[in-house]
Amino acid sequence: MEKPAAISRRQALAMGAGGFFALTADEASAQGQTRLTFWTVRLNTPELSAALRGILQQFEREHPNIRITHEPVSGNLVYPKFLTAIRGQTMPDIAEAYSYHPLQFAAVNQMEPMDDIIAEWQANGQLANIFNEFAYRKFYWRDHYWGVPYNLDIRAIYYRKDLLEAKNIAPPTNWEQFQAAVLACHDPRAGVSGLVFPAGNFHIAQHFYMSFMFQAGGSILDREGNLIFGTSAREANVRALTYLTDFATKHRVTPAGIASYNTDEAHTVFLQGRAAFGMGTGGLINRIMRENPSLFDKVGILEVLEGPAGRERKLTAGFYNPMFVWVHSPGKEAAKTFIRWFIRSGRLEPLYQASPGQLWPIFRADVGSERVRSNRLLNEALTKVVPYATDFAYPGYGRPEMGVIDGEKMFAAPVNEVVVGTKTPERAVADAHAEMLRVFNS
Amino acid sequence: MYRRRRARFAYFLILPSLIVITLLDLYPVIEGVFVSLQNQNMMRPNPEAYVGLRHYTRALFEDIVFWSSVGKTLIWTAGSVIGGYIVALCLALLLDRELQGRNFFRALFLLPWVIPDVCTALLWKWLYGDEFGVINFLLLQAGLIETPVQWLANPDMAMGSVIVVQIWKLYPVMFVVLLAALQNVPRELHEAATIDGATTRQAFWYITLPFIRSTSVIITLLASIWTFQSFDVVYLLTGGGPSGATRILPTLIYEKAFWGLEMGYATALGLLMLVCLLAISVAYLFVYRTQRGEA
Repeated sequence: MEKPAAISRRQALAMGAGGFFALTADEASAQGQTRLTFWTVRLNTPELSAALRGILQQFEREHPNIRITHEPVSGNLVYPKFLTAIRGQTMPDIAEAYSYHPLQFAAVNQMEPMDDIIAEWQANGQLANIFNEFAYRKFYWRDHYWGVPYNLDIRAIYYRKDLLEAKNIAPPTNWEQFQAAVLACHDPRAGVSGLVFPAGNFHIAQHFYMSFMFQAGGSILDREGNLIFGTSAREANVRALTYLTDFATKHRVTPAGIASYNTDEAHTVFLQGRAAFGMGTGGLINRIMRENPSLFDKVGILEVLEGPAGRERKLTAGFYNPMFVWVHSPGKEAAKTFIRWFIRSGRLEPLYQASPGQLWPIFRADVGSERVRSNRLLNEALTKVVPYATDFAYPGYGRPEMGVIDGEKMFAAPVNEVVVGTKTPERAVADAHAEMLRVFNS
Repeated sequence: MYRRRRARFAYFLILPSLIVITLLDLYPVIEGVFVSLQNQNMMRPNPEAYVGLRHYTRALFEDIVFWSSVGKTLIWTAGSVIGGYIVALCLALLLDRELQGRNFFRALFLLPWVIPDVCTALLWKWLYGDEFGVINFLLLQAGLIETPVQWLANPDMAMGSVIVVQIWKLYPVMFVVLLAALQNVPRELHEAATIDGATTRQAFWYITLPFIRSTSVIITLLASIWTFQSFDVVYLLTGGGPSGATRILPTLIYEKAFWGLEMGYATALGLLMLVCLLAISVAYLFVYRTQRGEA
């Protein structure tokens, strides 16, 4: 009788190890595919995630060798998540995040230069199609572009057309007219404040201050990227801070509690019809459409104001948000392939449709779409705000320090401190400058 | 011989836990000490450059925000723990009696404990709102105020307002522990005191309080540690404002670490916070032992 073939201990061990590796092997790698991780900070609401899923599926259909795993990152956890990932060297292959992330991560040698993509865009005319040169120049630091812009986040002044018409006031176009209109529309007996803006110790407070700062001729940096917030730009920055905070402290035409407001509270006050003018993000358009559609026809968006510095400084804060690639990603060429495909005129239309106003395209060609033309508020934002939107570092280009200055809310603090009366505008600007200087000298 | 073998076996049994605790607790602290002595500015190359005690001297002698934050953290901790203890003790004394629906109220009072901190902060932000807040609405309706109170926007009121939220968050666990302690107080002592003509206050002071003293020390110590390092409620309600009025140490450390990218400095602040916590704990235990010795 023949003995059944016995399996030796060594064979059993080899088979077990083989089976183990087969079970744990990356499916994509096994099929010769590159698997990329894509972290998003802004595209995480159910509507935006669903729209993004559709876009990613389309990419995968067109690029069967590349698989994208989308991982949402909570806005509050952006820094902890990225810093932990840098320390553990588990960064995503691709990410979209805050304005100065690529420069900050480049400073610790974690970013892949994007010069090749910018050069391609230069050659094919895509760069010329972008609204504002600061959209990509802000990512230029130490002879390289470390990120590429993919969307724009605007800040606007909304107003109640019906209230202005009732008082026979034309939509203001400059600082004097704006102040006069706000004061005229303030009607506490009717429960309507003249103006609402977020002045809490949150990041949003500094965005609106920034717009007035530019309009007054001020800035944080000069053209060469030197800090001038409290030196040569001091006078203009103090003037802007005084102008903005006077609405709360001198004229008292804002809700009394704005010193605790973040974005949502200011939006809500305007949405409830309790303010004639309201400073908000593009997301307010979406909230009006969803939460109080009856207000839609009564609301307008102001053209960016002309301040003391005249037409040349008719600017507003807007944030061109970046996408970037990890320098140590094993699939960085595939990641760049994805970025080249993703950031293209018309590609992100499903995102814009999913959340009207919240995200804006960076390409001029995208905004003349039927979606924009058929929506009056989107159209007004497009013509009256988007062309004037520029970034923190204006008129300088990017610096990693700007991420810290923004992150630590160094110029939100002056707004908050002046509104609650603990500092004068002069003192607040001087203290903020000292803080910024510490960051530059660190 | 037998005893030594038993002891060795006991050590052997606790060894796995000891290893896990060492890895999870001790290692991060040791790593933290190293990081605090390095530059670790994530905006600059060579983050591991050794800087000695520079971060500590900056915090202790140069950064005025640090000392101001320490002061605010102490007020925040003391206010929350004292307030939480008083509320918890009152409720525990109330529910230690034979009341109708006692079990329902016991469960009800635990509710704030099970609500996540983020939800708590959002809930209270809504309650405190100036234009649409429930508290201001009720006060206005009752005619107690003429204009909305700026609970979170007024630097003089913001700390008190966030302390109330922390008290609301803290009292349930203190209440449960104190109630358990109260139920261990022998009834006969109270009966004897009543017969001897003791007033309610005297009975509480000379019978109840000594019996729950050790429990009180432990629970207030724990509550102090939790509150001292609590972050979410303040950060979500005020962001440390207005004008820095609620900038406690955890929010300062978070901002320096994750917005300022100064990991080394933030770690040094974290270790200084640890020293503060150890000091509080030692002070508590010293008082506790002294009192026990006197007793």
